[in-house]
Amino acid sequence: MAVALTPAMLGQVVVSGLLAGALYAMVALGLALIFGVMRVINIAHGPMLMLGAYTTWLLFDRFGMNPYLTLPVSAAAMFVLGALLQRTLVFRVVDAPELSSLLLTFGVSIALVNVAQLLFTSDLRSVEFLTGSIALGPIAISKSRAIACAFAAAITGLAFLFLQHTKLGKAIRATSQSREVALVCGIDVQRIHLIAFGLASALAACGGTLVAVMVAIQPEMGQIWTFKSFLVIVLGGAGNYPGALLGGLLLGLVEQLASLFLTTQLSEAVAYVLLVLALLVRPSGLLGGRQT
Amino acid sequence: MTRVGAAVAVLLVVLAALAAYPLVGTGYGVRAMLQLFMWIALAASWNLISGLTGYVSFGHVAFFGAGAYATGILVSTAGWPWPPAALAGGVAGAALAFLIGVPCLRLKGPYFAIAMLGLNEVLRALISYFEGLTGGGNGLSLPTLQATTPVYYAMGLTALLVVALTHAVITSRFGLRLMTIREDEVAAEAMGIDTFRHKLYAFLLSAVGPGIVGGLAARDQGYIEPMSVFPLATTITMIVMVLFGGKGTVWGPVLGAVVLFVFQEAVWARFIYLHQLLFGAIIVAVVLLMPRGVLGLLQMRYRLPRTI
Repeated sequence: MAVALTPAMLGQVVVSGLLAGALYAMVALGLALIFGVMRVINIAHGPMLMLGAYTTWLLFDRFGMNPYLTLPVSAAAMFVLGALLQRTLVFRVVDAPELSSLLLTFGVSIALVNVAQLLFTSDLRSVEFLTGSIALGPIAISKSRAIACAFAAAITGLAFLFLQHTKLGKAIRATSQSREVALVCGIDVQRIHLIAFGLASALAACGGTLVAVMVAIQPEMGQIWTFKSFLVIVLGGAGNYPGALLGGLLLGLVEQLASLFLTTQLSEAVAYVLLVLALLVRPSGLLGGRQT
Repeated sequence: MTRVGAAVAVLLVVLAALAAYPLVGTGYGVRAMLQLFMWIALAASWNLISGLTGYVSFGHVAFFGAGAYATGILVSTAGWPWPPAALAGGVAGAALAFLIGVPCLRLKGPYFAIAMLGLNEVLRALISYFEGLTGGGNGLSLPTLQATTPVYYAMGLTALLVVALTHAVITSRFGLRLMTIREDEVAAEAMGIDTFRHKLYAFLLSAVGPGIVGGLAARDQGYIEPMSVFPLATTITMIVMVLFGGKGTVWGPVLGAVVLFVFQEAVWARFIYLHQLLFGAIIVAVVLLMPRGVLGLLQMRYRLPRTI
């Protein structure tokens, strides 16, 4: 399957890779936030994205809402669900051995998938809103992907501004740097955990809404997002928020590049090989240690 | 000492009864017991890595599937008899575990868990991709062979060996080191334990059983395809069985497998659509309310030895 690489193809790869990467970065930032603040890897992060996608589908299908306008609704709904999850279950395992938090969020994740199956059945759903693509010279850009990228970039940018400049954002970063010191400085760490979990779930939900317009929605769509988000934060360096951005873009590019040479079936294997390589070569991430 | 003697006597009687069962049992009964043996072997294997070291494997079904495919290919393409082919399935499981374990177990933390979470999908994709060897999405048929009774014994023996292995590990220095890693990996390292090596050995041991069991299941069913040998549900069931019975114990996985299998056959089969929800709820409840499982509770209550 040797393919002669033309400049146009390379341009296509770069553009498509960046479009996908922006989305990965946004969703992974959520996972990184929870990990940074609580040291918990939330296996239910992908299923949160799936529920966000269903929220959009429901509003689009029943009420004919513009799917992009459902973004605040699905983000708010998942913020509440995430905060609820943190308040009722996850806070109990924050200081427990990692086995507990992994298993707990895994249990939550399979329960959420089952709930989605019961509510929406396993039939494939789609939001047919924006199809077709724009031609930019020799490069074709899918409209829905371009819009998704724009939204993802804007939301991720806002999230960074929030983390960088608001008092709450600074409190979140302080908590991820050192919970004890944050506590001594008078930060209500429990509240920060709650807000971080809510925000992270809202980021996943935004991903869900944007993905809903692009691909088929089904209850098991989330798992791969947990995996890819984790891969992104490994690439960027666990607990390193800017690293998540870089990792997302890198994953998008590598996947697109691989799709030139391999069938799409193997694109998940590519992400996997990337994870294994990253763990072997640079386990502390591209940007190194923790940097918030 | 008499208590130990009595326990051994009970165990021998149970084993003798199970060995004699195919002579009197119905076809359905033998098949059900074969399934139970499979779950015992799978649950006990998961316990070897996750129960003892605390490194959660979210993709243990990958070894089951790898074993099933290794056996299936050897039997149908190379014409091997099924018993050595199933053993080769165990080797395939261990080889895969080596490939994953070396990069992922060097590091502390959740890397291993997530790597295992993704492994399943990758294997499924690879098997579909290498169609020539594996039959791809069309699956792979093994030559027809009526072998339920021999497979019953082979499966029972595998389950017995995995449980015996667990006992041997838990009562050994090796097992103590694994549990030290689980309790505090940094302290374990400070005490001079080569944690990476120990975790890797435990992981290899935990992959052999599922590989063999996968091979036996492939022989028993006579047909395998990517969706049927890599279901996430199998991993979930293993985890629930071990957590419920008591992780890190010898008999906890057996207890969990028996109880949940019976329940599943008797009650939950009618509520199949609630299955995952129920399993998710059990996982959450066990983690929060009784992290040591049923056997752990019994051990504390009746002062039973830790080696049970």
